[in-house]
Amino acid sequence: MSTVLEARGLVRRYPGDGSPVRAVDGVDLVVEAGEAVSVMGPSGCGKSTLLHLLGGLERPDAGELYLGGARVDGLSETRWAVFRRRNVGFVFQAFYLVDELTAVENVELPALLVGVPRRAARRRAMELLERLGVAARAGHLPDHLSGGEQQRVAVARALINQPLVLLADEPTGNLDSRATGDILRLFGELGQAGQALVTVTHDARVASTADRLLTMRDGAIMAQTRLGAGTSVAGLLASLAELGGER
Amino acid sequence: MRWPGLAVRLAARNLRRRPGEALLLLLTLTIATGVLGVAMSLYGSAEEPWNRVWRVTNGFHVSFTVYHPPDEPGDHALVAALRRRATQLTRAPGVVAAGGPWSHLYGSIRIADGTEDLTAEVRDPRPSEVDQPLVTSGRWLGQGGGVVLESGLAATLRARAGDTVTIQGRQFPVRGVAQTVSRGRFPLSRPAQVWVTPETARQLRDLGMIEEGFELQLRLAQPSTAAAFVAAHQALEAVPSSSSIVPYLETWQQRRSESHSDIDILAGTLFAAGTLIGILTVATASVLIASRMAAQIRQVGTLKAVGVTPRQVMVVLLVEHLTIAAGATAAGLGVGRLLGPRIAATSVTLLGRPQPPPLTVTRVAIVAAVAVAVVLLGTVRPALRGIRQSTLRSLAAGPRPPRRPGRLAGLTTRAGIPLPGVLGLRSAWRRPGRLLTNATGLALGVAMIVVALALRDSLELLELRPAEPGHAASDAAVAVLYDQIRAIILGTAGLLLVLATINAWIVATFAARDAARNQAVLRAVGATPRQTVIALIVSQLAACTIAVALGIPLGLGLWNLMEGGDLPEANLSATSLGLLAAAVPVVFAVIVNVPARLLARQPVAPLLAYE
Repeated sequence: MSTVLEARGLVRRYPGDGSPVRAVDGVDLVVEAGEAVSVMGPSGCGKSTLLHLLGGLERPDAGELYLGGARVDGLSETRWAVFRRRNVGFVFQAFYLVDELTAVENVELPALLVGVPRRAARRRAMELLERLGVAARAGHLPDHLSGGEQQRVAVARALINQPLVLLADEPTGNLDSRATGDILRLFGELGQAGQALVTVTHDARVASTADRLLTMRDGAIMAQTRLGAGTSVAGLLASLAELGGER
Repeated sequence: MRWPGLAVRLAARNLRRRPGEALLLLLTLTIATGVLGVAMSLYGSAEEPWNRVWRVTNGFHVSFTVYHPPDEPGDHALVAALRRRATQLTRAPGVVAAGGPWSHLYGSIRIADGTEDLTAEVRDPRPSEVDQPLVTSGRWLGQGGGVVLESGLAATLRARAGDTVTIQGRQFPVRGVAQTVSRGRFPLSRPAQVWVTPETARQLRDLGMIEEGFELQLRLAQPSTAAAFVAAHQALEAVPSSSSIVPYLETWQQRRSESHSDIDILAGTLFAAGTLIGILTVATASVLIASRMAAQIRQVGTLKAVGVTPRQVMVVLLVEHLTIAAGATAAGLGVGRLLGPRIAATSVTLLGRPQPPPLTVTRVAIVAAVAVAVVLLGTVRPALRGIRQSTLRSLAAGPRPPRRPGRLAGLTTRAGIPLPGVLGLRSAWRRPGRLLTNATGLALGVAMIVVALALRDSLELLELRPAEPGHAASDAAVAVLYDQIRAIILGTAGLLLVLATINAWIVATFAARDAARNQAVLRAVGATPRQTVIALIVSQLAACTIAVALGIPLGLGLWNLMEGGDLPEANLSATSLGLLAAAVPVVFAVIVNVPARLLARQPVAPLLAYE
């Protein structure tokens, strides 16, 4: 397997009372093509910041970042944007759909940005919405969609360009069990297509579907656990307890 | 803490939290109140000096003047009859003293390289009971002939006692210089005036000066009955319609209000400008207040969540903005007190040093009303919106998301417009409320520019106004007045442009702030910063296009309302308006570009968490 994403000594500091707070503190991480990695840890441990750094939404204060073999931590905002539109998909906990675009317009947006013809982009967007069970809501604006529907639209948008890596922050946090199942199935197919997945979650059930589990605390990765195909939620919880991590 | 104290404390904290916006609002309001404050200080600033001379000279309460054009054959019998009736008037009930009737002779006096019309008032050298002119240098009429110059005429001639003046081509010695309230000061008031004895008058008649009427001045037992006295003797003004003779009665108050027309014109122009600026300030203030409110919606939600009633929330917001209005009122009145006398001092009609009228409750209320009205108009709508929306929604804060997809927005895809343009247009069409709010704010800005352009054209017409031959001195005085009006017009036009720019900047800044999260989302999915800048500019240009369509007719309408009276009529050409319509979107795009670029430079993640 080839390496899709590699972080070396990533550091991100924020101003604090007196000395700066290290939100991400020297993280080393390698993610292979087709691999699914889950990140767990207590609130405020730096999980979301790490995800933002990996996707170029924030700049590291130190460290190196490679995506698809290219060093990207020094890219300009414009070059990061162009790189991101082809290679990185994001799913945010708060969905972050563009308010003024309908569901299908939100999904097709990254495809249009990479130059896919409008009709092809629309067709691909509708296919994804169909698979996620929200095709009937394609013409609605985000404000008229439920939280679960918005999240599924956000997942479709993240997947439309078949990115090298999908970065997901609590992707099932607003979903019922059926919708969660739909999304996890879709995520499961990513590995078969060689796409990597990094998921930040509090949900042990979601984390248990990954190939590897990272546990973070105080901005650093405290432990890595390789999860087998048959890892159960109970088994995962036991592993976490051993590591001293929180769910 | 009791509720009123808490409201004041919350309001004070809000002001301190966003001092820049509060200062900008204060500045905007002060532009309007300041102009009004100057107008207020100017109005009536010449009255006290006039009153002083009126008291010292034992000025008239009622004046009866008979004028007949010197170049038309007069009806001597009618003039003689009017003179008899004037004499009878001195014995009318209520009259305690009389001066005159004094004959007026018409002629000319040499000033610089030309001549000016002259009235020589023929007086007995003995002091008059009414309107005995106040001698400011030299002596009053007496033995040995000579003339006494009205002070404005003396200032124009730069003549003093002992000098000579040329009347009807012959030189006469100047005995003295005097002030009176029975005539306005030369050169703004024409013709020029001298006082002469009956003996000198005979010489002047021999030199060709001719009768042009007379004036009688009366003092009454009750000065306040002057208007009633005039009304009771209105019959004196009746003459055959074919006659060119003009007899008229006038009260001292009427004469005083006409005595400093230049200051009144300046004050009137400033008042019109201040009112116009006040109206247009509403737009700027509304956008500012609305944006402050948007930032405070979360606080509204918090207050409501802890049990503060909507009415109490409204009180906090009003206290905050009324404090700014009070500051602007004080600043405006202060500016007025400072600048008003300085502007008035340049007047050529003043009988001494100007003295701004006292700050009465009415005057303060007029200036305060403008600031308060602007603030109330700007506060009520966004405040009600914040109060009406659910507490949960208020706590979530952020701009209200659009509710309807809209067909027009969908069509933008098919129109072959590049993606950033499509995104911008969709953003604009799907937020019609926001589009219209911004368009309204910008439309008032465009209206300000239209009025500024019209003022400039009016100014050019003012400069083209031809000088009257033979009136070099008075034309020079009028030129001073025109210079002052020009300065006010240019100042007003400048202030309007400043306001329009502030307005556009505020609209652009807050549009960028509103769009921050969506711009960040676009960048998160791969749009470049440049594409997001273009999208934001396009979304704002939609509002700007509507603003141009609304603002030009609005500006022309406001100009028509403001025009009239003292300013030359100016019609803006279609070319000027066309250029304006083309230039406004370009300039606005440049303005929007600034906050949009600043936004695009920021990293994405903090912007996503912006709301």
